[in-house]
Amino acid sequence: MFPSLLRAYSPMKMRCCFQRSICSASSSLVPVQLPSPMETHFWYVLPDQVKSVSLLNQYMGLLSPIEKENVLSMPGHQLQKRALLARALVRTTIARYQINGHVDPRSLKFKKNIHGKPEVVWQSEDGWCQPHLHFNISHSSSMIACGVTSNSRIGIDVEEKQRKIKNNVLAFARRYFSLHEMEYLSSISDSEVQHQEFIKLWTLKEAYVKALGKGFSAAPFKTFTVQVKTDSKRSFVLAEDLVFEASEIMVESLNDPKSLTSSWQFALLELAGSHYAAICMEKDKSIKVGMKVPVRLTAWKTIPFVEDECVSGTDAVMPIGGLIKL
Amino acid sequence: MASIAGASISMTSFSSSLKLTTQTSSIGISSLRSVSLPISGRSFPSLRLKKDASRFRVSCAAKPETLDKVCEIVRNQLALAPDAVVNGESKFVALGADSLDTVEIVMGLEEEFGISVEEETAQSIVSVQDAADLIEKLLEKK
Repeated sequence: MFPSLLRAYSPMKMRCCFQRSICSASSSLVPVQLPSPMETHFWYVLPDQVKSVSLLNQYMGLLSPIEKENVLSMPGHQLQKRALLARALVRTTIARYQINGHVDPRSLKFKKNIHGKPEVVWQSEDGWCQPHLHFNISHSSSMIACGVTSNSRIGIDVEEKQRKIKNNVLAFARRYFSLHEMEYLSSISDSEVQHQEFIKLWTLKEAYVKALGKGFSAAPFKTFTVQVKTDSKRSFVLAEDLVFEASEIMVESLNDPKSLTSSWQFALLELAGSHYAAICMEKDKSIKVGMKVPVRLTAWKTIPFVEDECVSGTDAVMPIGGLIKL
Repeated sequence: MASIAGASISMTSFSSSLKLTTQTSSIGISSLRSVSLPISGRSFPSLRLKKDASRFRVSCAAKPETLDKVCEIVRNQLALAPDAVVNGESKFVALGADSLDTVEIVMGLEEEFGISVEEETAQSIVSVQDAADLIEKLLEKK
């Protein structure tokens, strides 16, 4: 009924589909093709934009009994809505990829891996191999996001730019960040810039730990350094793609410098002018060590069943770190 | 003969599942028979003890003043409404805290009580009671 959100672009044009697919009350989810290697799909919903009670009820209808119970056990309407939207976003997003014929968000089953990271349980029929869809969600009070990849572990984190830090930023960094990171933050004299850099570092570190998927004890924040090498920001057109090279982001483990930290790739974005979003994904195994390969990113602002807006390539998605191809 | 053979078979399966030493062979057959019934978990006191252990831990509660102080710090960090209910059972996630909030709360507690919390331990704090109990434990060690 509705065209799928394929990346339709003409040469030399920015590759963004300014499509706003507005579904009627018979709500279907616009299907999407799986991301290709080294590509991330990033979906986000702004709770303030979801007001319709009937829509929220519709989302509630997608949840499993346990999920419903968890949502309703949250005290207060706002927290319930946030929890509900998080589950609805995950289910509807994964359902869009129509894997193994799963079109109904209700039919998806989830479990936690041995470290507690949520995963989809694919009911594979005999002979079907397990699809390699990876996802990770994050929520702040005003944004809920879900990142999706094929064949590559992923972790994401979103935070409000203006989020208040109750403790002194440097004291916090001294306590929880690595020495290198703390020194970097100390070197910033402007307190507002320091605050912003703190939040960016936090999201990058969170995204990394979540991508590892082994729980926080596997990589305590103090044991690894995220380095943002801000060389000159530049963007250039490569064939028909728009590539942003804001800076190089690297992670180094302090306990084990030789560990495979070079197999992780980062992207840092400013979203909707109000949030920082960090994405950490595993580099494709085919990429040689040391090769610089951009993260291909397609981002959608969504209200599931109502509206999907492809926002990569617009002002809503500003790359501010990493090597990103939009 | 058959009954002895039967007992020895069940003994083997019993001992292999529980990794008992061969000392069990010295136990009378009658007691063995009673233990080698289908392992449904009910005859295994160790399992039941484990289940109650967490409840046991919580009931060795922190002092009320400690708990109150923790609630106050949590309220401040999460900027909760004055009428929001915060007590020992309150889970941070249920109060709207995310991971950064949790870490900030722990830092606030460290400063307030003059303690130091390992990062791995900090991440395992789920409720106000967990925090208060941990504080008491750390204060005792001082």
